[in-house]
Amino acid sequence: MKFFHRHKHTHEHEMLDCEAVMRQLWDYLDEELSPDRMAAIREHLATCARCYPQYEFEQSFLTALDRAQQEHSNPDGLRNRVAAALRAEGMSEI
Amino acid sequence: MTDDSDVKRERDRHFQQEALSCLPEVTRFALSLTRNESDADDLVQETFLRAYRSWDRYEPGTECRAWLFTICRNQFLNSRARVQREVALEAPELEARQAAMVHDSVRDSPLEHTWLRADLAPAIQRALAALPEVLRSAVILVDLQDQKYEDAARVLGVPVGTVRSRLFRGRRLLQEALLTYAQDAGFVASDQQTDRGSDR
Ligand SMILES: [Zn+2]
Repeated sequence: MKFFHRHKHTHEHEMLDCEAVMRQLWDYLDEELSPDRMAAIREHLATCARCYPQYEFEQSFLTALDRAQQEHSNPDGLRNRVAAALRAEGMSEI
Repeated sequence: MTDDSDVKRERDRHFQQEALSCLPEVTRFALSLTRNESDADDLVQETFLRAYRSWDRYEPGTECRAWLFTICRNQFLNSRARVQREVALEAPELEARQAAMVHDSVRDSPLEHTWLRADLAPAIQRALAALPEVLRSAVILVDLQDQKYEDAARVLGVPVGTVRSRLFRGRRLLQEALLTYAQDAGFVASDQQTDRGSDR
């Protein structure tokens, strides 16, 4: 039985400079880039002392933003209220 | 044997499965927009009533959450007496660079740890609420609701490039506001008091 590792280590990634990484840092954090570009930036960040702190800074900012989200104090109450309004509108109970 | 009531039952079942199951996400979205639970409750109820009445216009297979967010945000904007005017936007690349400058200004303070302080959350909520609506909606959709740029663009009815501009601008303004807050509260030094010996 043979398993082939089919990684292509051809180093076809474009070499990225810091400026280019900074420009696309948010797209990178949002995972909105092509897989190739994602990999190239990941590689750059792993070794760049200048870009990595910036990356950490933005990432923890986004985490904080996500955590700061307000939660509803009574989701069940709201669910019942919405269901009642929909039934009054004619929705059948299922 | 399908009579009208079977068709309706099937339609309602589909609505409950696809739309009503998004209630938690729509609630969080409404709460981010209104920042007030009782307003959010009204908004959520109105959103689902509208969605139910228009259910035939929903295209099965498309992102139902994004469809509900669209209804929710439109309803929110309609319910407000004055609509904020468009804000002038820089190119997204420029915003990204300016954000790098926010970071540079605190390079020597451990602000990345400050971001995660639990007591910063109310300040984050206030700063978010203070953003112009078009920026705030972009930030809420992408950063709080984890929507892809493309889905956010559909909700906001603008091109993807505009979502990026609004999102990046919104994030930068938030960072600036929070940095000011953190400095005022004494979380971070307000001037460049660095530990670089060469400064002396
Ligand atoms: Zn770099």
